[in-house]
Amino acid sequence: MAINILENIDIKKLGELLQQARQQRGMTQEDAAKIIDASRTTMVAIEKGTRRIKPAELIKLARAYGQSLSDFVRQRPVVEPFNVQFRAMYLRNEEEEEQIKPCILRLQELCQNYLELEQIMKSPLPQNYPHQYTVTGMPIEATAEAIATQERQRLGLGDSPIGRLRDILEISVGLRIFYLKMPAKYSEIYSYNEELGGCLGINAVHPEERRRWSLAHGYLHFLAHRTKPVVDFDGQYKRMPESEQLAEAFSKYFLMPTSSLLKQFNERCQANQGGKFTPTDLFTLAHYYGVSVQAMTYRLEEMKLVPSETWNKLKDRGLKVRQVQQNLNLVELPQRSDMMPIHYQHLAIEALDQGLITEGQFAKFLNVDRLEARRIAEVLREHSSGITEEAIDFDLRLTDNNNEQVAHAN
Amino acid sequence: MQINQSHLLIDSCCMLNLCSSGQLLNILQVIPAQVAIVQEVKQELQKIENAIDFETAITEGLLLTVDFESEAEEEAFVNYAAYLDDGEAATGAIAINRGWAMATDEKKATKFFTQESSSLKIISTLDIIKYWSEVANIEQLTLNYVLNQIRVKGHYIPHRNHPLRSWWETVIDKQENQ
Repeated sequence: MAINILENIDIKKLGELLQQARQQRGMTQEDAAKIIDASRTTMVAIEKGTRRIKPAELIKLARAYGQSLSDFVRQRPVVEPFNVQFRAMYLRNEEEEEQIKPCILRLQELCQNYLELEQIMKSPLPQNYPHQYTVTGMPIEATAEAIATQERQRLGLGDSPIGRLRDILEISVGLRIFYLKMPAKYSEIYSYNEELGGCLGINAVHPEERRRWSLAHGYLHFLAHRTKPVVDFDGQYKRMPESEQLAEAFSKYFLMPTSSLLKQFNERCQANQGGKFTPTDLFTLAHYYGVSVQAMTYRLEEMKLVPSETWNKLKDRGLKVRQVQQNLNLVELPQRSDMMPIHYQHLAIEALDQGLITEGQFAKFLNVDRLEARRIAEVLREHSSGITEEAIDFDLRLTDNNNEQVAHAN
Repeated sequence: MQINQSHLLIDSCCMLNLCSSGQLLNILQVIPAQVAIVQEVKQELQKIENAIDFETAITEGLLLTVDFESEAEEEAFVNYAAYLDDGEAATGAIAINRGWAMATDEKKATKFFTQESSSLKIISTLDIIKYWSEVANIEQLTLNYVLNQIRVKGHYIPHRNHPLRSWWETVIDKQENQ
């Protein structure tokens, strides 16, 4: 028999969840009290955890808040609310808080789901975290390049362009990266806490070049200012703090390493008549490194390979980047724009196939409706081992039994 | 498929399959019990494109929408929601408390409710489709088409241990070999 949840649940925690849900819905305690035919003081007591809620009341409130009842009663890992971390930032500007707070809450929810899936599958996210780099009082450019070089070495990337940056940071480092729709001026949200580790929300509506830049930028925050939460957006600073200058510098060295870029630049000049470096070369090089044309031009200006003000001159001439890219037939950069990390998706499908979560829960984890969830499940199964359902829960390292087990699975 | 209960309560995954079949209204007409869904299932289906037939079924009285009627049902719903999704939990809570039959294809939900109530009658999409094909004398070609609709539109394939898996494979294979 299922236990009586409301008799055994942490009512203080439940009260907090109810309060959060009510506030997200924009309702007052008075409004909520009316829904359950109670006084405001009763509602206050429920939210404080001093009065145990009745099943009928909880059902009514969940419906009024537009939330699933299971979100209030199922056992979930407890994580420190992100908005507590970001509170200092909010105090600066109420308008910005209104814009970005839903995205921060969404990222928190998704990271919490990730942890929940790990616990369901008893499979913690493998983390390959380096020690935090010491950067205080160090020269920005040299430090940024040194960290970029060390990280490339640590991750076995050499000095080649980084193809699938998101996958590398998710799989090789163990960051939790979600692509979320945010207002256009926002590029990323970075957060860290002991339970979750490093979490990044990247603006899904930005082009891939910019998302890659935001990933690298956020990665530096993780490497050098690990515990400091950050929301990055355009026009944020009158005077950019050193931590942001470092993150920007790191992005360019990490995505466009000096040695490799110099070699590529020279090869292109040598291939052209008269040793020219043409706009076509510029576009091709930007595409090759998966960065914007603007970022590539600035980098070449800094390296004194093209004259300073080259970007401004190109803009003055009415350069239309997207049009030129189309004319040059530059194919789309390889990218994975799913909201969820790949490991998250695989945990979810394994949990579903092993009957540890229901189809409805699977859909919620993937933030889609049930029909779309089924379609995604099919795709995930196609990309998995081909061994489905009950037969997937065994240890492939036990090679002596592998043939027998796989044969049995098929 | 034998249903001795007065009502059959269908959950979201099974309802989605029946909607994908393209034959929902015809299928509901032959089921020997009043078919119903809970509010949570109705709300979920309303958000899914291509799951539109069920609204017609409600209008025509082939499908009832039911909600909690007792504290016992509400309490059971809350307790089950700790382990299952809302639609699945509400369906089981009402079915068990009212002694109704339940239709689901959900592995975890089936296991959970089997342990929760030994008297609960649980049937699946394939039980319903097979019953409909027999009672309504459905031609093999139509049956093939319907199962394929469920497979393609509903993205539903019965799991390997489903009691009617071999029946399903036979029907699907016939379609592919023609």
